[in-house]
Amino acid sequence: MKVFTKEMVAQYNGKNGNAAYVIYKGKVYDVSASFLWKDGTHQVLHSAGVDLTNALEQAPHGGDLVEKFPVVGIIKSAGRSQTISKP
Amino acid sequence: MARVAREMVEKAGINVNQLVKLLVKNAAAELTTYYYYTILRCNLIGLEGEGVKEIAEVARIEDRNHFEALVPRIYELGGKLPENMKDFHDISACPPAKLPEDPTDIKAMLTVLVEAERCAVRGYTHICNLTAGKDHRTYDLSQAILNEEIEHESWFSEFLGEGPSGHFMRRGESSPFVSKFLR
Repeated sequence: MKVFTKEMVAQYNGKNGNAAYVIYKGKVYDVSASFLWKDGTHQVLHSAGVDLTNALEQAPHGGDLVEKFPVVGIIKSAGRSQTISKP
Repeated sequence: MARVAREMVEKAGINVNQLVKLLVKNAAAELTTYYYYTILRCNLIGLEGEGVKEIAEVARIEDRNHFEALVPRIYELGGKLPENMKDFHDISACPPAKLPEDPTDIKAMLTVLVEAERCAVRGYTHICNLTAGKDHRTYDLSQAILNEEIEHESWFSEFLGEGPSGHFMRRGESSPFVSKFLR
């Protein structure tokens, strides 16, 4: 699994042909294929390339809608990689 | 544009440009859904399909009513509709409710319908949350639309076997909540 920093994910903002990645609970999801993430923007208020964990608490849907998208990596936490438990 | 009405919303702390974009995206979702539901309705045939056709038709007509009701508010707030129909389709707040590969698969048809309604329920809940106590007119309109979208969702959900909607079919006129904005 590829390890990203938040700065690396910021490059995947869905603009100018870039893929659209978002961070949710330490995982990096590729939302490029979503109709609702065209041009790296979601419902006017949200942009790709950022951590949406806090924003999702205010959203009219849960994290399950993000978790449907492919995971392309995890976020490097301070000093070490964040471990992801396998189901 | 209703200049003072817009000012009041701005003074209440709402980013009106963002709100207008959201309203346009949701208006786009309503009109494109009206179009796609036309195709779905035409393909709701046979013993199973005919049973769903009537509620699909009511949802279709009410979604068009939602579009009609949203348009004045967009212009009041200084917004406008896209001039290009393709742009309009592509900015929709919800994905296209496309005919499933096998239109005789009634579960697939119902899944398209219920997912379209669920997207709308999320969208209008979001607008209600943004405007509550700040933009009374947009809130009133969005809440009226939300009431109808929730009913649509529960109808299709019931057919999918997710549990009773607790509703009867519409009797007489459509859009019981939104009709006050259409007079």
